[in-house]
Amino acid sequence: MVSIVFAGVGGQGVITVAMIIGRAAVIEGKNVLMTELHGMAQRGGKILVEVRIGEYKSAIIPANTADAIVAFEELEAVRNLKKLKDGGMILLSRRKIHPVSMTLRRQNYPTDAIEEELSRYNTLNVEADQVALSLGNKRVANTVMVGAVYSTGILGLSRESIIKAIKDSLPERYWDINMRAFEEGQKLLVTESAKAA
Amino acid sequence: MQSEPLLDAQGQDEFLLGNEAVARGLYEAGVSVAATYPGTPSSEIGDVLYKLSERMGIKFEFATNEKVALEIAAAASSGGLRSFVFMKHVGLNVAMDSFVSLSGSGVKGGLVVFSADDPSMHSSQNEQDNRFLGKFAKTIVVEPSSPQELKDFVIKAFDVSEEVGHPVLIRSVTRISHIRAPVKLGPIRKKNEWSYKKDPSYVLLPENAYKAQLSIAKRIENVSAAKYQTRFDAVYGDSSTLIITSGAAYNYIDEALQMLKASARIMKIGMSFPLDLERITDEIRGAERVIFVEEGGPFIEEQVLQECALHSINKKFYGKLNGSVPTSYEMDVDRVASFLSTIYGIPFNTNKPAATIIPEREPVLCPGCPHRASYYVATLAMKQLGIRNPIAPTDIGCYTLGYYQPYNLGDFCYSMGSSLGSSSGYAMSAKERVVSFIGDSTFFHAGIPALINAYHNNHNFVLVILDNSITAMTGGQPTPETSPPFRKVDIESVVRGIGIKNVYTMDPYDLKNSLETFKKALKSDELAVIISKRECALEADRKKSPSETKIFQINQDKCTQCYNCIKNFSCAAFYFEDGKVKIDPELCDGCSVCTEPLVCPFNAIEVMD
Repeated sequence: MVSIVFAGVGGQGVITVAMIIGRAAVIEGKNVLMTELHGMAQRGGKILVEVRIGEYKSAIIPANTADAIVAFEELEAVRNLKKLKDGGMILLSRRKIHPVSMTLRRQNYPTDAIEEELSRYNTLNVEADQVALSLGNKRVANTVMVGAVYSTGILGLSRESIIKAIKDSLPERYWDINMRAFEEGQKLLVTESAKAA
Repeated sequence: MQSEPLLDAQGQDEFLLGNEAVARGLYEAGVSVAATYPGTPSSEIGDVLYKLSERMGIKFEFATNEKVALEIAAAASSGGLRSFVFMKHVGLNVAMDSFVSLSGSGVKGGLVVFSADDPSMHSSQNEQDNRFLGKFAKTIVVEPSSPQELKDFVIKAFDVSEEVGHPVLIRSVTRISHIRAPVKLGPIRKKNEWSYKKDPSYVLLPENAYKAQLSIAKRIENVSAAKYQTRFDAVYGDSSTLIITSGAAYNYIDEALQMLKASARIMKIGMSFPLDLERITDEIRGAERVIFVEEGGPFIEEQVLQECALHSINKKFYGKLNGSVPTSYEMDVDRVASFLSTIYGIPFNTNKPAATIIPEREPVLCPGCPHRASYYVATLAMKQLGIRNPIAPTDIGCYTLGYYQPYNLGDFCYSMGSSLGSSSGYAMSAKERVVSFIGDSTFFHAGIPALINAYHNNHNFVLVILDNSITAMTGGQPTPETSPPFRKVDIESVVRGIGIKNVYTMDPYDLKNSLETFKKALKSDELAVIISKRECALEADRKKSPSETKIFQINQDKCTQCYNCIKNFSCAAFYFEDGKVKIDPELCDGCSVCTEPLVCPFNAIEVMD
């Protein structure tokens, strides 16, 4: 049984990452629920996706019970902290997308407040964009993220199922680069924990 | 996506969105005809059908509005075909006039109406509970709880509809239609043959309508029998506490009880009108206390308590009617655990100290959105003409976001087309200048009769039709302007056809010309219509390759920090950092509108190398 919050901003591919993990669970014959909220904006609004693998009926994760937050944007990681259980982890692809209302008021991005919140949790940075660029296609950042989430071991899903889910989600011509992205993603957290140690 | 799971053979589990499961259910149920007007949270059913209906053998169309869609389905059903009409909850209000007549005529081929309600109003103007409309219109009402049940209930609803000869309303909600879960695919049934015979019950003139009342009552009585009800219901658990629940609310109860370490007997109602009240009161007689947990209004609760009153059944009842269960917003495990804890008298505390107060991220128009340019110019024109406090009725679509700062152009928004009816009212009553906004799809849906009213009654206001040639907010469905394969309806011809002379078509990206157009329209002493025409930026992006997109940046040497670009134009790609304005290159759409001197008089916005 695992509950994960995926958070970001519209257009970042949050739903794609959650979908791959959900599909992998279905491939293993597990029950999985996924719910998404994205309000009325087509792009630039806050996105919250919740995924629960196991015998759940509620797709919405109760407060203080999520095993992890996988975030694609810093402010959105913090916005959803109330769902994270004590000792839960945050996987964060660093990105600052300024809310328009802050720009209108000529306010800086609230970096210090965010760092203070994040420092209270086991926050692991995932350099998904950088790795994707080094692989030659920034669009595979999402698959890098899948690799990072998989490498935490919280999913309880096999490598094979995730690989099949990635392939089921993409045309064959993109399989190679995405397999590499998935592999590279798995190496990122090792580096992070080594750094932390 | 490589395979097409929605067409694949039976037997396997697929990870489907609730609405995709509905579409698959239509295929499995042998549906021949389906129609809709797009509305969140029901839109994805139409997206699937738009792509796959031909291969499913379903005749499908996006109708101009929900009432038209419902009449399309009713006609198909009268000839024996299984037919389906679907919409968001408020769409049923639009279809209401004919919806209420469905039960009068009854149906030949199974007819199912699908309403996706939106508790908590994630993308709607209210959270009306359409089960009440189903009962009001005397249709059968069923409530699934999961994507699997959405598919199963679609099939069962068609069976019941055809067996009883009566329409069925399926009530879904956001947290069922927009949930993904494994759904087991079933066999595909054969479709009915067209077998039309003239039938006076479809002509609801008084003589026939009078007779219809009796047959409605008879069909509703038939379907309240256990043999229909038990196809949709489930009862389990052993406890002196009985929880009667339905729909999405059901999903939260088991986990809430686990949290409280409490138990209950659960009666999950799938058909909530009519109810098999005999079976329900039998259950109640065996319980000590009864709790009603529903999302929306006290729909089952009212019907059951009425029956209990008639039979003098006295128990401890808890629900919305005695204030034990909240009446607004969607449920979740925390909310259910919270009110159950009070009823059971078991302490429960979900509160976790909130994070530092974090800035809200309001929904915004996309970078490159032509509506931004239209709103910018509208504001500028009014400022230049000294129109200080216009009244700006707006309508349902992405452009409703014009309500927010810095445009502040949105003073009235009730429902589809309400910008135009209210504009007549304001023009008649107000001292302020009236400038109203409506999108192309909404104009076709409900704007045209109201515009005729305004012209005919000689009301003076400026109407801006924000024409991006697509139904953008629901994910980019076609409109009557879309062609081929459809026939294109031209908005300017429609407006001129009414007789309106003051009609201007402009490209909002051309700020200078648009500004002059707005000023001309605003100075007019009779009704003026501006058609601000430019393709939705997301659609335009889909057609161009990333290499074609120029990205812009601010030349800080030229920037004087006047902040006009962020204060008044306010593109979502701009941001503020340590006194400077910058452009997020990942977000810039390359539309170049911000480089116009009307936005940046210092030419500080330049193409990035």
